[in-house]
Amino acid sequence: MDDLARQIRESILHISHHSGHGHIPTCFSIVEMLCAVYRTMRHDPKNPRWEDRDILILSKGHAALGLYCTLAHLGYFPIEDVYAFGAFGSDFGCHADRFKVPGVELSTGSLGHGIGVAVGMALGFKMSGSTRRVHVIVGDGEANEGTVWEALMVAANMSLGNLTVLFDNNRSQSRCLPIDNPEAKFSAFGFDVSSVDGHDTDAIARALKETSGRPRAIIANTTKGAGCPTLVTDMFAWHRRSPNPAELKTLLGELR
Amino acid sequence: MRQQFRDSATRLAGTDERLILLFGDISFYLFNDFLRQYPGRLLNVGICENTLISMAAGMNAAGYHPVVHTIAPFVTERSYEQVKLDLCYNRFGCTIVTCGGSFDYAWDGATHHCYTDLELMRMLPGMEVMQPGSKKEFDTLFTSCYADGNPSYIRIAADEHGLDLPVEFGRGVVVKEHPGADTTVATAGPILGNVVTACSDLPVNILYFPTIKPMDRELLARFGDTRFVVVHDAFGLFEAINASSPVAAEYHGLPDDFCCHYGTLRDIRGKLGLDAAGIRSRVEASIRTGNGYAKTA
Repeated sequence: MDDLARQIRESILHISHHSGHGHIPTCFSIVEMLCAVYRTMRHDPKNPRWEDRDILILSKGHAALGLYCTLAHLGYFPIEDVYAFGAFGSDFGCHADRFKVPGVELSTGSLGHGIGVAVGMALGFKMSGSTRRVHVIVGDGEANEGTVWEALMVAANMSLGNLTVLFDNNRSQSRCLPIDNPEAKFSAFGFDVSSVDGHDTDAIARALKETSGRPRAIIANTTKGAGCPTLVTDMFAWHRRSPNPAELKTLLGELR
Repeated sequence: MRQQFRDSATRLAGTDERLILLFGDISFYLFNDFLRQYPGRLLNVGICENTLISMAAGMNAAGYHPVVHTIAPFVTERSYEQVKLDLCYNRFGCTIVTCGGSFDYAWDGATHHCYTDLELMRMLPGMEVMQPGSKKEFDTLFTSCYADGNPSYIRIAADEHGLDLPVEFGRGVVVKEHPGADTTVATAGPILGNVVTACSDLPVNILYFPTIKPMDRELLARFGDTRFVVVHDAFGLFEAINASSPVAAEYHGLPDDFCCHYGTLRDIRGKLGLDAAGIRSRVEASIRTGNGYAKTA
C-alpha cells in the first residue's frame, strides 16, 4: 500500500470513528481506484471548476467518505473540514452534494444514476470536440440495477471512447445477486475490458491510459475493507458501522 | 402539436447550436428534415427512458440544452427518480417533451394512459410544468423554457382547444369574466374547449393555466373571493391551485380508479363526465348548491 492510500484509509477510519457514520469497507475497496484516477486525469485542486478538467463521478455514492478523504489529501480542502461528516450544518454528507464539496461533479446516492449521467457528459464532450474524459466508479452491487446496463449499451452504441467505467468488483453481492464474470459481460456489451488488481494503483493507472474508439471498462478486482483484515473477515457486519476507540486502535494498527 | 414541436425545434436549432434532441424511439420519422438540416443533433437513443434522463443531465453539464422526447408515462412514472435526482436535485437543465398524456392513447388502454405526469412533475423542486392547448401555445412555452437552465416538462396534446389566447410562461389567462359571478372554473390544456362550450352562457368566470408550475398566484388572488371548480382530465392543476392561497377548489376530473376502457379520447372524456355536457352539469350543480368555497383570511 502506498503512502497516499494509507493516509486516505487512516482518515476514513478517524472520521468514521469521530462522526459515527460511514461505509468503511466499501470506501477501502476503491481507495486505489481514486488514487489512480486523480494521478492520471486532468484536474486542479486549486481550481475545481477548471473548464478543461476531466471528470470523475462516484456512481456508488455511499463511498462518499472515501472520495472526500481523497480530495482532501489532494488539496481540495482541509481534511479537518470532513470531520463534521454527516452532521447537521456540515457540507460533507454521507452522500455527496455537488454544490457543497469542491471536486464533486455529481450528487449521487441512489444507485444506478451516475453511470447514465457520465454517459451524457462523455457524449457532450465528444460532440463538442473536447478531449475531456469521463471516469465513473460503479459498484458490483450497484450493477444489480438495470439502469447500469442500459447506460452501458448506449455508451457502446455511441462509441464513447472518452468514457472509462471503473467496476469495483468486490463481490459484495455474493449473498444475493452476484455479477459473475464481469469481464465477459462488459465485453459483450461492447466495451474494451481490462482486468486488474484493484489495489494496485500503478496497474489501474496503466489501464486508465489505454484508450480506443470504444468505451473502456476496468474491472478492478477488489476486497471490501482491503488493508484491514478485521474488516475483510467480517465485511457484512462492518458494511455501515463505525469503530469504537478500541476497534479504531486495532484497525489503525492493521493498516500499518 | 407534435408537428409544431418539430417546427419549433428546427427554428431554434438554427440559432442555438447547444439545442440537442434525445428521443426514446418515437417521432423519429417526423423529424427527418431536422436531421437533414442538423445531422447529429437528434439522437434516437433507444427505449431506455431512465438513461435518456440521466444522459440529458450529463449533456447539460457538458454545456448543451437537451430536449428529451418520448411517451409520457414511461418518462415520468418509470423515470421519476432520474428526473428527481439527476435533473432537479442536481439542478441540470433539460426540457422533457411528451406525448400520450391523459387519454390521448385511449385505444391502447390503461398501460398507456397517463394522468399523473403533470402532478408528479409539479411536486419536484425547481421543475417547470406546462400543458399547452394549442400549437401556438406550445411554441411560446417551449421557446421560453428550453434554454432557461431549469428542468421543464411540456406535454404535447393530440387535440387543441381551438382558441387563440395571449399565453406567456408563468401566466394564467382570463378566458371569460362574468360580472358578479361567484363561481370560477379553472382548467388547463385542450379540454378548455369543452369547458368554454359548457360554460359559455353560465354566470361563471373561466381561467386557463397553460403553465401549472410556477402557478400564477396573482391571477388566483384576483378571483380569490369566488368559489373554484377545477375541471381537468389529469391531476396537477387542482393540487397546484389548492396549494396557492387564498383559493380552495373543488375538482371535477378523474376518479380514484383505472380507466379500463378503450376507444377514443372523446369516448373516454364522455365516460368520465368531461365532455361539454358533463362539465356543464357539474358546474351548474356547483352554482346551485354553492358547493365549493373560498378560503377565509
